[in-house]
Amino acid sequence: MWKRLLLIRGSELVALALLASIPLAVDNSYVLGLLTLLAIYGILLIGLDVTVGYLGQVNLAQAAFLGLGAYAAGLSVSLLGFGIFGALGVSLLVGLVLGGLLAFPALRLEGPQFALATLSFSALTVTALNEWESLTGGAQGLHVNRPDFFGLDVNAQGFYWLCLILLALVWMAMRNLLSSQWGRAFEALRDSPIATDAMGVGTFRHKVAGFALGSALGGLAGGLYAFNFEYLQPQTYVYDLMVILLLGVVLGGRKSLWGAFVGASLIALLPNLLSNWLLFEVISALGLTVALAAGVRGLMKKTAKPFQAIAPIIAMGLLVAGGFMVENTENWRKAIFALMLFAVVVGLPEGLMGFASRFLARLFRIAPPALPAPAGLNTVLTAKAADGKALLELRNLKRYFGGVKAVDGVSMTVRAGHVHGLIGPNGSGKSTAVNVISGLYAPTAGEVLLHGKTLPQGSLFKVARVGVSRTFQNLQLFGELTALDNVMVALKGVYRSPLPLVLLGLAQGEEKRAQAESLALLELVGLKDQARKQARDLTYGAQRFLEIARALARKPDLLILDEPAAGLAHPDVNNLVEIIKRIHQRGITIVLIEHHMDVVSELCDAVTVLDGGQVIAEGTPDEVKRDPKVIEAYLGVVSEAEAPGAIPSPA
Amino acid sequence: MESIIIAQMAVSGAFMGLVYALIAYGFQLTYATSKSINFGQGELVMVSAFFSLTLITVGLPYWLVVPGGLFFGAILGLFVERAGVRLALEQKSEGWILLTIIIGLFGFSAAENIWGRDDRPFPTPISSDSIQVFGVSITPLEISVAIGVLAVMGLIELFKRKTLLGKAFEAVSADRDAAELMGVSATRTIMLSYGLSGMVAAMAGILVSPITTVGPTMASALILKAFSVAVVAGLDSGFGVVLIGLFLGALESLASFYIGSGWREAPGLILLILALAVRPNGVFGKASIRKV
Repeated sequence: MWKRLLLIRGSELVALALLASIPLAVDNSYVLGLLTLLAIYGILLIGLDVTVGYLGQVNLAQAAFLGLGAYAAGLSVSLLGFGIFGALGVSLLVGLVLGGLLAFPALRLEGPQFALATLSFSALTVTALNEWESLTGGAQGLHVNRPDFFGLDVNAQGFYWLCLILLALVWMAMRNLLSSQWGRAFEALRDSPIATDAMGVGTFRHKVAGFALGSALGGLAGGLYAFNFEYLQPQTYVYDLMVILLLGVVLGGRKSLWGAFVGASLIALLPNLLSNWLLFEVISALGLTVALAAGVRGLMKKTAKPFQAIAPIIAMGLLVAGGFMVENTENWRKAIFALMLFAVVVGLPEGLMGFASRFLARLFRIAPPALPAPAGLNTVLTAKAADGKALLELRNLKRYFGGVKAVDGVSMTVRAGHVHGLIGPNGSGKSTAVNVISGLYAPTAGEVLLHGKTLPQGSLFKVARVGVSRTFQNLQLFGELTALDNVMVALKGVYRSPLPLVLLGLAQGEEKRAQAESLALLELVGLKDQARKQARDLTYGAQRFLEIARALARKPDLLILDEPAAGLAHPDVNNLVEIIKRIHQRGITIVLIEHHMDVVSELCDAVTVLDGGQVIAEGTPDEVKRDPKVIEAYLGVVSEAEAPGAIPSPA
Repeated sequence: MESIIIAQMAVSGAFMGLVYALIAYGFQLTYATSKSINFGQGELVMVSAFFSLTLITVGLPYWLVVPGGLFFGAILGLFVERAGVRLALEQKSEGWILLTIIIGLFGFSAAENIWGRDDRPFPTPISSDSIQVFGVSITPLEISVAIGVLAVMGLIELFKRKTLLGKAFEAVSADRDAAELMGVSATRTIMLSYGLSGMVAAMAGILVSPITTVGPTMASALILKAFSVAVVAGLDSGFGVVLIGLFLGALESLASFYIGSGWREAPGLILLILALAVRPNGVFGKASIRKV
């Protein structure tokens, strides 16, 4: 515990002290300029990492936010007469607000569409900076004066320290934020937006918040950038800067503050690297060696596909060979970035720090921080009254897809404390019904009531918030989060600290409580020992149980299990039955969609049978099993009227 | 007089819009089979145009330059697929966005160094003397753009509908897994779509260069507009891109006339963001149903 704290915090402090003292030891304005740029890029990349690493989106707007922040700072000094902190505040705010505004239209977008939206925003920004000449000076550029600091003139050294202090503050705030519920929510949203909504976490607010936050840091970095160079031009913030920034994040390593820092040092040093031929050759030869070593190792251990091993070698080889063929490497700047970035994205997708941190953790045997003891199950899932009153009611529910009547007038009542089976042959409308109840689809007609009140329609998030929780037939886990984090992110009623407290790192208490409660739920499904494993590395059965634990973290009134036994091996089916029984004992009402009749018979108090989108039978499991309509639906008995003469009647 | 000017601006803009539509059509081809597009398509257009220009300068006749340029474009398209897209698709990740951007950047830098940073004229045997049609002047060059764009799109659509290979293309677009089970190789079909998309991009370069000149900066100018057209129309909308292309071309021409030439890209970009916000599947696209 202490060793961990000492090593991790210690290395941060040492790095900070080292950086701060360099200007005292070396009196060189060139070095100072580089260091300042390093600090500024550090802030910029930490911001970019929020969207690229945590939200998992290709964000092409960070260079634009740098530019907007820079112009905002410059103009608020020259036009409004703001001091240095006022101006930096304005840059931060400009990034925050514009980032939030851009996030709204970009909200529903994933992958390529998101990249396109941010790309257009960047292009628009450059156009506006260029053309709004009365304000920005257009292509002529804008001169900025660095304002004084409460009457004191800020020299280059003082300004560097200011940048460094801001970097340290940003570092601490982001570390606190990203290790809190916010960071988990960002990652959840990346891995499965649908489950994020279904767990009541909300993709909407977190996507906007994450993007606005990253952009705000971009704006802040822009303000510092303006006061560092004291001259701004729209052309600075175009596409290739964006690619260089992405290079920084990806090369340094995503989802890592150190990664952002390493990336920032790299891109601050890049221009020097290119201007000196020998240095360039040394670095690219080093790159080739790494690519060769990693490639050969990957091929031998069969962890990498041939393309993953060979392509980076070719790219780095081209870099070395190119150095000998072209006269001036500066002219090929973009191509060199492209080759380096290509090699990293293909060959080392986790980046330098992703690789190094695993290595260092093993070298120093840093154990993950200890977990608290699990909370008592009684405090996590308070027993609910199983009074048999109507909890969930469907009234003539319909959902059509074009001409397909997937659910066609279903009415049923689920009583509090019951395990209610919903069965039927494939394509009978079970899953659609559940998707309508849980808000994934809006109903075409009809009503859904919970506790006699109408459920929100067509919103997973809103339905989850009023006490309905579900699992998914096709697993929707947050793959890169640990089992524990999967449960913690969904946990209801624990996270109350406002954002400022979280940023200051004063929300540790509720974090511990969340861990304890989540561990209790993991224990319930038998996964306590695997709490630290990433969800995607769990066995298939364990993943199914984890989904149940995660759904329970919502502390729901109604739990919908969508084919929880699908694909499970026999021992796991028995475990599942035990788990469901335990949940049932807590008084939680369960709707169980299942094909295994033995599971249904053993668990269910009542069963509804669907076929062709309609209810064909209702009752206890035994009644339903004997119902001729049910037998027909499942076995397809041919009635004699339909096929006269097909089966000769015995004489 | 005013209305004549507006009509003139709109018509010349619309011809340019057809070029954007052609590049956007290239996006649709790859999006249909693989749900991916080449973010470096603008650079592909530019490099193919430069290559064709080199063919002209070494003395090849125009009727050989066109197939040569198209062939080169197809090769580049195949390269992008192999180096930038295939691995990411296999891993079901969105790494192709970044990788295609990177490959585009490399192409840009290479073009800058091989062919220079300046814009160069692109000679063509087709005349640029204007003809008056209802008071609006149109050049044979512009008409050749229209014919070329529609011919390429028409031929590819015909190929998709009439040939066995084309039907395989449609099958993979409709349902990749089902097509694989029926013995259609999705990987090869995606290669085919990238080859075709590269060819279409090269065609766009050859058609537009005599009007705009060839230079490294044509890449970003073209691609932003092609993105706008593709997204506003919908990435799976077929001929919708032609209508939106004509519209956006006319709009940007009018914007540059009335607001200032620096703003010519703004309407397209704003429309793009709006379209993404309001109708992410495009004006002509179909909304997809979320499945779990």
